[in-house]
Amino acid sequence: MSIRQFLSRFDVLLFGGAMMLAFLGILGVYSASLHGVVSSAFSRQLVWTGLGLVLCFIVFSIDYHYLVDYAFHIYVLSLLLLIGILIFGREINGSKSWLSIGGQNFQPSEVVKVVVILTLTRYLSGLSDDYLKRQSFFILSGIAMLPVCLVVLQGDLGTALMYFPILGGMMLIGGLKFRFVAAVMALALLLAPASWLVLKDYQKQRIMVTFDPSLDPKGIGYQTRQSQIAIGSGGLLGTGIGNGLQSQLGFVPEVHTDFIFALLSEETGLAGACLVLLLYLFVLSRMVRIGEQARDRQGILIITGVASLIFFHVVINVGMALGITPAIGIPLPLLSYGGSSALSTYVALGLALNVHYHRFVY
Amino acid sequence: MPIFQDNRRLVARIKGLRTCFFLIFLLLFGKLWYIAVLKAEYYKELAKQNQVRIIPMLAPRGIIFDRQGRVLVDNVQSSNLVLFLDKAHDLNRVFNFLRGLNISEEALKERMHVARSRSRYQNVVIKENLSMEEMSYVLAHQNEHPELAIVEEPRRLYRYGPLAAHALGYTGEISDKQLKWTEFVGHHQGDIIGKSGVERTYNPNLTGIDGQRRLLVNSMGRTIEELQSVDSTPGDNLTLTLDLDLQQIAETELGDDPGAVVAFDPVRGDVFVMASHPAFDPNMFATRINRADWARISSDTENPLQNRVIQAEFSPGSTFKVVMAIAGLETGVINQNDTVFCPGGVTLYGHYFHCWKKGGHGTVNMTQAIRQSCNVYFYLLGQKLGIDNIEQYSKRVGLGHISGVDLASEADGLVPSQEWKKKTTGDKWYAGETISVAIGQGAMNVTPIQLARAVGMIATGQEPSLHLIKEAEGYRGPATAVAATTTAPFFKEEHLRVVRDGMWRVVNEFGTGRGALVEGFEVCGKTGTAQTIGNEAKKTLSAEEASKYADNAWFVGFAPRDNPEIVVCVIVQRGKSGGGRAAPIAGKIFRAYWEKKHPPVGPPMPSPLQQVASNAPESPQPASPTNGGGIRQ
Repeated sequence: MSIRQFLSRFDVLLFGGAMMLAFLGILGVYSASLHGVVSSAFSRQLVWTGLGLVLCFIVFSIDYHYLVDYAFHIYVLSLLLLIGILIFGREINGSKSWLSIGGQNFQPSEVVKVVVILTLTRYLSGLSDDYLKRQSFFILSGIAMLPVCLVVLQGDLGTALMYFPILGGMMLIGGLKFRFVAAVMALALLLAPASWLVLKDYQKQRIMVTFDPSLDPKGIGYQTRQSQIAIGSGGLLGTGIGNGLQSQLGFVPEVHTDFIFALLSEETGLAGACLVLLLYLFVLSRMVRIGEQARDRQGILIITGVASLIFFHVVINVGMALGITPAIGIPLPLLSYGGSSALSTYVALGLALNVHYHRFVY
Repeated sequence: MPIFQDNRRLVARIKGLRTCFFLIFLLLFGKLWYIAVLKAEYYKELAKQNQVRIIPMLAPRGIIFDRQGRVLVDNVQSSNLVLFLDKAHDLNRVFNFLRGLNISEEALKERMHVARSRSRYQNVVIKENLSMEEMSYVLAHQNEHPELAIVEEPRRLYRYGPLAAHALGYTGEISDKQLKWTEFVGHHQGDIIGKSGVERTYNPNLTGIDGQRRLLVNSMGRTIEELQSVDSTPGDNLTLTLDLDLQQIAETELGDDPGAVVAFDPVRGDVFVMASHPAFDPNMFATRINRADWARISSDTENPLQNRVIQAEFSPGSTFKVVMAIAGLETGVINQNDTVFCPGGVTLYGHYFHCWKKGGHGTVNMTQAIRQSCNVYFYLLGQKLGIDNIEQYSKRVGLGHISGVDLASEADGLVPSQEWKKKTTGDKWYAGETISVAIGQGAMNVTPIQLARAVGMIATGQEPSLHLIKEAEGYRGPATAVAATTTAPFFKEEHLRVVRDGMWRVVNEFGTGRGALVEGFEVCGKTGTAQTIGNEAKKTLSAEEASKYADNAWFVGFAPRDNPEIVVCVIVQRGKSGGGRAAPIAGKIFRAYWEKKHPPVGPPMPSPLQQVASNAPESPQPASPTNGGGIRQ
């Protein structure tokens, strides 16, 4: 196959958009590491990006049909991994969801999300109807809920929450009937008070403070407020990389991970913030296009899962930085520092590219 | 997997997903626009408040010296604990932390209440003059409390505590009322100003120009960088005419008795001594005075804040007789050789007026009458002069009017007159009242400085222009302060000589003022023992009340007789006897002045004077010998 042939089948636009985001992320982490906020983050982020790209191409190079065929096997292995971590894992910041490999900490629950996408695809693609039956609904929910329960038990509620948009997105595309949607919403409303009992105090606080930041100006609301100040004071073109006082002087917390959007907004201004959002919109839009052109149902469903995953991460994270969603520690895909998040995003990206590459039956 | 699936519905749904993405992203863009465009200025301001800490650098006030260049008032650096209100998010945490410094929540709240009312700086001084232990306590917890900072500020130090407190005055934060005064134009809320004494009169000179430090701080309150600083410019130094040695003698001699001493050069107008007791320690005001201290000072019935030299009005008593004498001679109603027979009292207008000496003084002429302070002589002189003449000559020597010394809030005193009586009571003046006024009783009221100035005029024949300021570097105040004494002759020299002769006899010829005698210094003077309550009322008093209304002791005099150099006026309230209590104090001052001018020959002996002076503290700990309060540490 010539390079030209390869490029005609490869989605250069999607890959290019993703790489631009990765570049902005590296820029942000570089800035955050300049003044000793997290000095080693920059070099590590480069390593993670490299590893991610390798993983991305491995996933890309295996026809997604094979991956879907073996989805159940991978799924079972993943559940065993999660259980293993629950027993032998390492606890960081109150979550026993970490695996230590060669001194690097890694969160498998991030990557298991992609496995769930494949598993749901495997099950959904086996159905020939355009609408889901009740039985299918429960099976699909079960597939997603098993890892969710394990992740919740690990104490990582934020990551667990991110399984829901995958499930929801894929069920909707797979043909969820309206009455199911209504039933789920009713159930959610019923369970909401119950969840209040399960949530830890700081988690409840985070939700409340989103609605009223003045509840706790120094605590949870403080983070959001400082992030808003950073975004608001950046001006049109920003202060320049490394010069954002809000971010560099420690007023905005976690500038290299959860609040990297605030740092980029302050240092590259409204222009930079808009560029980030437009790039995400472009990437997502491109993925939807891949879905439209996909060869089969499996391709459409994979794309749905991947797009939902990225979309919700972006909305929750940027929404938190802007102060419209609760402060849940969710990384910004491709931008935030962090190995697990990077790897799972690159695997997801690899899947999307894979679906595009195999859109024609040759 | 089925061989063929119709995916058109799925494709349609996924297109719906794209619409959903777009709509929700629109929301994100909307909020981004709101924050970064619509509210950009607001957030920029918040960012600045976050990151930039403005620390005022208070300019030290000018140093105040006595006439020999000895430091009376200067400044020490005080490490103050400052709370930045805009950074204090959790006050309860601050309160808890400050308990470690023994600062109560109430005291802190009181200060914050005051600070909240202003906007210039968002900081409150919580505690002045931190000790090393307190500073290390704060610094050790700086990371947990970025809202606190230690700021160096100059604090006023009155080296001798309450010494000359009223002349020097005190400083304090400008009040809301004072902000509106033209006197303090250009001052802002929170500024330290001179509130009384020379601190107030020469406030424009003493006040420096405040500087400012702008610091870039991180979220822990730690300084990252100094942005731009404007150094403060200290205020101008002042040299006063006060003489520390004489002042110390006056204050020591007054002791715990309420009273006042003033001494000055009647030719140049230099005020050497201005003492008023009870006094206060102005160091108490140098830090922000707390309520309890303020309540104690301001509710003291002896009124320690009052400068008795210029603000307290007393009956002059017999000291007024020197004014009567000059009036008698000038008007010609009496000749210096005219004599009066004093049998111990005289009946005038149907009322018997006592002389203080039961047996009477016999036949006395003017100088003898002055020497023995014979009441009968002056009753009769008063009768001859009449109230109009008494009023006219009293006012000529400056009674009933402020002396014009360079201090604010001087009292006028009172010279009674027909017009005054009519105005205040609606009644006409009775001739009998003139008789009381003739011996300095009745409605006649003077401040010590007025009386001293009147005697100064008799001593020199000239009107002195009194002032506390000797020189000011780069003086910016009113030009009249150091004006020369006017030279227009007031009275005939021969008349003045008669009165001076009488006053010389008072001291040097076993008169009532012999306590003020200084060998070789030709002291002239007049004593007075002034009633503070009418004779009739006095009889009804209990023993305790009687001591409260005991007579005031006066002495006013000058030296030497020819070409006088110094006027001294002493009043000891409830001192009972002018000759017994006031004259010796004046004598000590005359003697000290004389000895300073004529130092004893031979090996220098440490005089009591120098010992007092050497007791002056070298360390910046203010002395507070009479006031137990001291500054709060």
